Amino acid sequence: MTTSDSGIDQTGGGSRAVDHEVVTITNLSKTFHKRGLKALDSVDMTLRHGTFTSVIGPSGCGKSTLLKIMAGLIPATSGEILLNGKPVTGPRQDIGIMFQQPTLLPWRTALQNVLLPIEIRLGSAAAQAKSDVALQLLELVGLEGFDKVHPFELSGGMAQRVAICRMLVTGPAILLLDEPFGALDELTREYMNVELQRICRERDATAFMVTHAIPEAVFMADHVFVMSARPGRIAEVVDVDLPRPRTLDMMTSPEFGALVRHVRHRLDELGGIIGAQQ
Amino acid sequence: MTATKKTTTTAPAEMSEAEALWYSGSWIDRIPQWLSISVFGGAFLAVWWFVAEMEFVSRILLPGPSETFSELWDVSKNIFTGGHIFEALWITTQEVIWGFLAAAVAGFVLGVIVGETRLGQRAIMPYLVALNALPKVAFAPVFVAWFGFGVNSKIVMALFIAFFPVIVDTAAGLGSVDRDTLMLFRSMEASRWQTLRKLKLPSALPFIFAGLKTAAVFSVVGAVVGEYLGGGKGLGELIRLSAQTLRIDRVFAMIAYLGVLGIILFGLVAWTERKLLFWHKSEVFEIQGTG
Repeated sequence: MTTSDSGIDQTGGGSRAVDHEVVTITNLSKTFHKRGLKALDSVDMTLRHGTFTSVIGPSGCGKSTLLKIMAGLIPATSGEILLNGKPVTGPRQDIGIMFQQPTLLPWRTALQNVLLPIEIRLGSAAAQAKSDVALQLLELVGLEGFDKVHPFELSGGMAQRVAICRMLVTGPAILLLDEPFGALDELTREYMNVELQRICRERDATAFMVTHAIPEAVFMADHVFVMSARPGRIAEVVDVDLPRPRTLDMMTSPEFGALVRHVRHRLDELGGIIGAQQ
Repeated sequence: MTATKKTTTTAPAEMSEAEALWYSGSWIDRIPQWLSISVFGGAFLAVWWFVAEMEFVSRILLPGPSETFSELWDVSKNIFTGGHIFEALWITTQEVIWGFLAAAVAGFVLGVIVGETRLGQRAIMPYLVALNALPKVAFAPVFVAWFGFGVNSKIVMALFIAFFPVIVDTAAGLGSVDRDTLMLFRSMEASRWQTLRKLKLPSALPFIFAGLKTAAVFSVVGAVVGEYLGGGKGLGELIRLSAQTLRIDRVFAMIAYLGVLGIILFGLVAWTERKLLFWHKSEVFEIQGTG
């Protein structure tokens, strides 16, 4: 249990052996009153420092809603989210977020896009001062020398790497990833997953990823949260004990296959992808 | 994009992918475009010449190409030596420029109010839509009564005709912002002003420029209509007088100069757009298409 947030390494660079709880969610529910839809029903979860968590479930199970509540973008109906011991009541600097689309501003260079969160929060001068940090991040994701390039000159995968840098530049305590590579082709997606794993390990990051690809969920995660739909609940937590760093070769191993099969059966029992369609 | 274009070798390069997909080959594509334009223009001149020469219509009412071009030459001489037609053209040019600038500013400000505030959307926009549906030319006598026979009533007329597309396009542009990017700005705790300045307005620029290009053309219409109906000393007044004395060749020559005025203003706006919106899709495809 964290009692104070002053000890949190804001740069995320140093490795802290302490396996403390970064995010604690208790009894979280969300009802959309307009539609009378119960999107989330008493969700409890804990995310420990340095772990990667995947959330998988049929469409409409509320996994994206959960992520947005965790990001402070929409309020919960009841329940509590603690991030480093402090309740999340709105957007915060120590929350990093990334979407399926890179959402880069096309009139800004890669570097200016990475610095955007600093510029918005602290002004242009502060952003300018952080340039070297941003350049280091671009180097970390393999985009050295691309700092002056505009988004239209970048491929989909490269654009998402810039989005990763923009998410990391404020040194967030938690990374919220909403199907981050869902719009990329399969080969790029696998490659980006390996890259994301490397980046998360280098920065000892705590990450929470929403996906609807079972192999991807298993490949990336220490824990896979399987959700059921209507109301959205966490039906099971599957622990993935495969060694790290994981390689694409592992995806053909019997252990990996067994885990994927297990998650798939669990989803089928829960009404499956088809059963949950409206 | 580029690769796909290169494989469909039969389709001309300027076609979009969708067009190229249905392209089945046409003889016109085997001729250089300057040639097809020249041939078409030549054919038009030939028909014009023929109709005038045969006097299907009185030559006074329809002067042939030769009279028109010789009159165009006289008008040009007058204009480039600073004669009375030049003075009229200069007055009209000023009306058009001030009318356009006023329309751009007023349209932009109203567009932001309408696109950005609920009050604007719910209370102001309905009035603007109703206003736009009115025949705006009908207001010309009112503007003359209010602002006199000088340039001011023409500027107001140009503004009045030209500002509506800027409002609508600015408002539409502000509403066109991608939802995820808006969410990103929320997650960065951006203020409303920051979101407007750093996200919504730049995103709206392609729309705003579409409105400005329409306004550039409309402001010429507004100024000339103002002059037709409200006198003054501009080119519109000279055209009206020439038509009254049945100098149709002179009318044609002066209309050609109004066309040049409109094209230059439109070109300036389009040039600014290209410089400013290098990042936008319509520009980006050009860059990639050549690479």
